Amino acid sequence: MNEGAVITELPWLYAGLGAYALATFLSFKALARDGAAAATLSRTHEPFVLGLSAAGVLLLAVALAERWLRIGHGPFVNLFELLVSQLFSLGLVYTVVYWRLPVLRPTAVVVFPAIWILGVWVLLLDPAGAPYPPTYHNKWLWAHVGFGKFFLAFCLVGSGLAGIILLRGSRLLASLFRHMPADSILDTVAWRFMLLALVFDSLMLVAGAVWAQDAWGRYWAWDALETSAFLNWLLLGASIHARATYRISMRVTSILIVVIFVFAFLTYFGTPFYSEAAHKGVI
Amino acid sequence: MMKRLRQLASLRLTLVGMGLLGVGAALSYDNPVGTPVWVLVVPLALLSVNLFAAILSNPHINRRGGLLLFHVGLLLIVVLAAVGRLTRMEGRIELTEGSAFAVEDLTEVRQGPWHAGALDRVEFVQGPYTVDYTVGMARGPTRSKVMIPAGQGDWERRTVGDDTPLVLEGYRFYTTFNKGFAPILTWLPDHGAPVTGSVHMPPYPLFEHRQANRWTPAGADEIRVWLQIEAGMNPEADWRLDPANTPGVLVVRAAGDRRVELRPGESLRLDGGTLRYERLSSWMGYKLYYDPTLHWLFIASMIAIFGLAAHFWRKFGAVQAYAAAQEAAKNKPSDEMGGRAA
Ligand code: HEM
Repeated sequence: MNEGAVITELPWLYAGLGAYALATFLSFKALARDGAAAATLSRTHEPFVLGLSAAGVLLLAVALAERWLRIGHGPFVNLFELLVSQLFSLGLVYTVVYWRLPVLRPTAVVVFPAIWILGVWVLLLDPAGAPYPPTYHNKWLWAHVGFGKFFLAFCLVGSGLAGIILLRGSRLLASLFRHMPADSILDTVAWRFMLLALVFDSLMLVAGAVWAQDAWGRYWAWDALETSAFLNWLLLGASIHARATYRISMRVTSILIVVIFVFAFLTYFGTPFYSEAAHKGVI
Repeated sequence: MMKRLRQLASLRLTLVGMGLLGVGAALSYDNPVGTPVWVLVVPLALLSVNLFAAILSNPHINRRGGLLLFHVGLLLIVVLAAVGRLTRMEGRIELTEGSAFAVEDLTEVRQGPWHAGALDRVEFVQGPYTVDYTVGMARGPTRSKVMIPAGQGDWERRTVGDDTPLVLEGYRFYTTFNKGFAPILTWLPDHGAPVTGSVHMPPYPLFEHRQANRWTPAGADEIRVWLQIEAGMNPEADWRLDPANTPGVLVVRAAGDRRVELRPGESLRLDGGTLRYERLSSWMGYKLYYDPTLHWLFIASMIAIFGLAAHFWRKFGAVQAYAAAQEAAKNKPSDEMGGRAA
């Protein structure tokens, strides 16, 4: 469509990723085995991590806006723009969590590397635009995508906490996180985030169903993406139940959180591109 | 009685039901042909009974307002989805420009045994349509004009298409990519009254190279026709499919395998009568969907989510209180902070 056009969003994308890279680097540097040193390091490094990740979010917002102006539609169609948009929204939600809940800050060493999966992936993709399907002008698209972003972001925060519990399971790494609250508290907070994720997951499914009814004349049809998203919702609900029904070790429940996040990740960035769903609208 | 209810309400059964539902959903992934609906219905029925029993008998759920609302909402969704399947109707219809919706023209009709809508009260007339295409033949907006009776002989014009269905008496009509050209023909038999009809050519531009069909007017032999159109189709540029402004030449097979070209208004003498090509028109394929539970389903989901959010809020308050207590005991070593909060 825009062949030969200058990809104006790329410098902003690189700058945003650069800011995230520095934030990642500093959050690892802030780890220390010694308790007193940890307190000093967190005091000196954490404000920089916060500032850099906020800067990254702003730069990615500019990248998204530039792209929007260039190709004439929002970041909803191809994998490249979906990844940039998630890099922005995951970063945004995590930056707010990092800012408001200082006790959770060491989760950055789990969360940022997870974000980097998207960061590296996006660099390998072609930034060309794709046609905007006519059914994407629907206002429910915004609700669906917006709720979905919060769902994934809260799963990511939950995974950050679960990741710390799992890392602390290794004797080698345990001392790095000793200034954080006990596992039982991390576990409780992690599952609070997962409960919040379930609220937004449910909202995403409902908004998606309303949109599907408008766009394709049915609210639910077990297409690949719907089924995958439903299984993800069910796994989350079942895990919450299993935890309430049985005494399950925190290690296992932490693994469950990571599995739910990975499942969500594959649903988002795998299914729509593996399956030639009705979303495309050619002919 | 109560003991039986508690057994039915077992949370272990919930997990079994969820597992079975997961298997059912996985089997339904991408709708493989041959997966029976039972793989979903059986676990859903089991979960509904289990949940109903739990709501009646388990204080963990029925004494906590938000959680109760959430689970009641879930139960309602399952019940409504089931009622929806029993009362729904689906079908397809191709409407020629200028013609009115007629129930008899519906095809691929599937309806639940309890379907009882007022389809016979649905009235509208198909008008012209346009469809925009962008480079690479990606379909852009479809604008299909329809007219619906507005009382006292007046007509209301509406434009429908893509994510804007025409909704009449609860029946929802969606435009589809299935649409094309329709030459209007009149057969003037040597003896008897003339008949006018339309021939729906194969979907355009999907079958751009196969614009052919047959027409058999009552009492006459089959007539084979082809269409040569200048629709401006161009895979390398943006273009608009606009049948109302598309010139089209009709090619008819006459005696001796001769092919004769007809322009609008021209006639051709055939065995037993004369064929007149009146004009080029169009047809639009609609998908019909009716489900009286749609709005209720939405309300039930909102109730459920509201309940879940309220439950979260209450629990979140508990975490904050817990965190405040931790803050107070800050000087103690972290390992003593333990105790798993519910
Ligand atoms: C269908 C049968 C179901 C039954 C019988 C059932 C029953 C229950 C009960 C008794 C509780 C309270 C547990 C406790 O705190 O001891 C509960 C909690 C909960 N259930 Fe269900 N439930 C069912 C389905 C579902 C489904 C399908 C979901 C979501 C996917 C779900 C999500 C939840 C959530 C989020 C909680 C709150 C847990 C917490 O606060 O930690 N339930 N359920």
